Amino acid sequence: MSHLKLTNISKEYSGTTVVQDFNLEVEQGEFVSFLGPSGCGKTTTLRMIAGFETPTTGAITVNGEDVTHNPPNQRNVGMIFQAYALFPNMTVAQNIGFGLRIRKESEIVIKDRVAEMLALIRLENKASSYPYQLSGGQQQRVALARALANHPQVLLLDEPLSALDAKIRVQLRSEIRAIQKKMGITAIFVTHDQEEALSISDRVVVMYEGKMEQVGAPFEIYNFPTTRFVANFVGSLNTADAEVIDVEQGLLAMDGVLFKTAEGTKGRKVGDKVKIAIRPERFSFAAEQRKANVVDAIIENITFLGSVVRIQVKIGATKFNMDTFNNPYLELPKIGSKDQVTCSKEAVLVLTD
Amino acid sequence: MKRSGVIWSWFWMILGILYFFLPLLATFMFSLRAELGHLSFTAYSNVFSDPVFQLKFPASVLWAILTIIVAIVIFVPTAYWVRLKVPQFRSVVELITLLPFVIPAIVYVFGLVRTFSQPPLLIVDSPALLVAGYTVLSMPYMYRAIDTGLRAIDVQTLTEAAQSLGAGWGSILFKVIFPNIRVSILSGAFLSFAIVMGEYTLAQYLAKPAFAPYIALLIQNKAYEPAAATIISFALIWACMGVIQLIGGGEQGQVTGGH
Repeated sequence: MSHLKLTNISKEYSGTTVVQDFNLEVEQGEFVSFLGPSGCGKTTTLRMIAGFETPTTGAITVNGEDVTHNPPNQRNVGMIFQAYALFPNMTVAQNIGFGLRIRKESEIVIKDRVAEMLALIRLENKASSYPYQLSGGQQQRVALARALANHPQVLLLDEPLSALDAKIRVQLRSEIRAIQKKMGITAIFVTHDQEEALSISDRVVVMYEGKMEQVGAPFEIYNFPTTRFVANFVGSLNTADAEVIDVEQGLLAMDGVLFKTAEGTKGRKVGDKVKIAIRPERFSFAAEQRKANVVDAIIENITFLGSVVRIQVKIGATKFNMDTFNNPYLELPKIGSKDQVTCSKEAVLVLTD
Repeated sequence: MKRSGVIWSWFWMILGILYFFLPLLATFMFSLRAELGHLSFTAYSNVFSDPVFQLKFPASVLWAILTIIVAIVIFVPTAYWVRLKVPQFRSVVELITLLPFVIPAIVYVFGLVRTFSQPPLLIVDSPALLVAGYTVLSMPYMYRAIDTGLRAIDVQTLTEAAQSLGAGWGSILFKVIFPNIRVSILSGAFLSFAIVMGEYTLAQYLAKPAFAPYIALLIQNKAYEPAAATIISFALIWACMGVIQLIGGGEQGQVTGGH
């Protein structure tokens, strides 16, 4: 039995549907991210799990119990907010112990639990500090400890890293994941940052306009996007219109340039218009290694991005981005020069819509 | 800024200070002349030893304290609820809180007398009506002070954080919201205190003992004592303002910093 189950969830505000037919089962200890652009319904879905919003239709069960209409304070769901939401009038220790005091736990239990949580977030020396005396990262760690102190059944994280600077963000997301694994707690993480979602999740739910676009492991989401939106939203992607030339051989034509694909033409017929997608890192220069697809290209532009060099090439009439790892001893092609680029059959994805 | 600009700034500021303080200074000097030939605090001594003062001044303090309690009980949950649940009505509620500035006290008190001097609400003789009236008069100060305090904290997120930790509405209000806006509540309370201590119309027309009507009574019968009572009244209000500054200045960092 799944630990958290959302069945046919939808939410409407004044006739506008913001979440539509959302179904998801999350196992105990699983870390699931809701990924999507602003307004896709990911936060609304999270808030429905927390009890801050009531679904228009559908049901939410936690550990087999229907909590759809339970108020937020009766769900035992821990929540972490983007704005930290620490109580400014309380010290770190008081913040962490707040939920336990509400539950009327004994002072000994509270003291022990607070000490345990402070050790978990490595802020033992900040127990008497007030939130305004802490950095953003420290405040968010306290918020995490406060949410975990109550032993919640589900931990909900609403873009908890968005307000932090890049370095702290990367560090803290690893900490969150490590603590979640250590405690074996089920977690739902909302983010619009694909790197964040891909790096810490067991599964990612990609959402768009209130609907689930694709659910899967990060590897699957990135490498095998099933919809045009997922392909475009997760990672960089080159897309182009093409026409099916040979179904058996998986042959497609784009601006008169032929591409072979490993799959995707099945169920289609010759002459069908399709959308193909190729990740920039799947291209390489044919001079290095020739793969199934070798096509002529004109070098249009070169952008240095640090660890990666992005080369814009023109294939037929379409511009594609091609990423290569930065190598200080590698001679880059000249802008305007002609070259051959290559990619495997598996690199050419045919999108379903 | 040009030198002439600086001079004019000083000129207007000094003019303003003189405009406000000269009459006060004159009143104060006059209050010291109760005895012929030398300055003394005799008028103040007379006021403090007056049995009528001893009755009416504590009465006003009592009305002020009751007003503050009622105002806190009504306005804190109201302002909180409006911010949390019906923010679209904030402008309407703000407009309502400003009504005491628009409706003259004399009109208001006659409205009260007319409404509450006949069954089923025959409470015109009850001090509760006076306190209720004062509560309405204190609304612009109290409600706005509380609302400003609520604006300084993220009410919705703090509420949701507390709810997710198992807190009910009572715990949220008393353990999270009240402590984080206590400076604003105190500011509103002291302003309300000052307003009630200086309010004349309501107490006079509802025939209840109070400090402001006492000063008016003194003016009719004495020369120097009304001046002394006026200075006492001002001193009391300034003391309230001083306490607001003291509390507000000391606590500001904690409340805003945590946000």
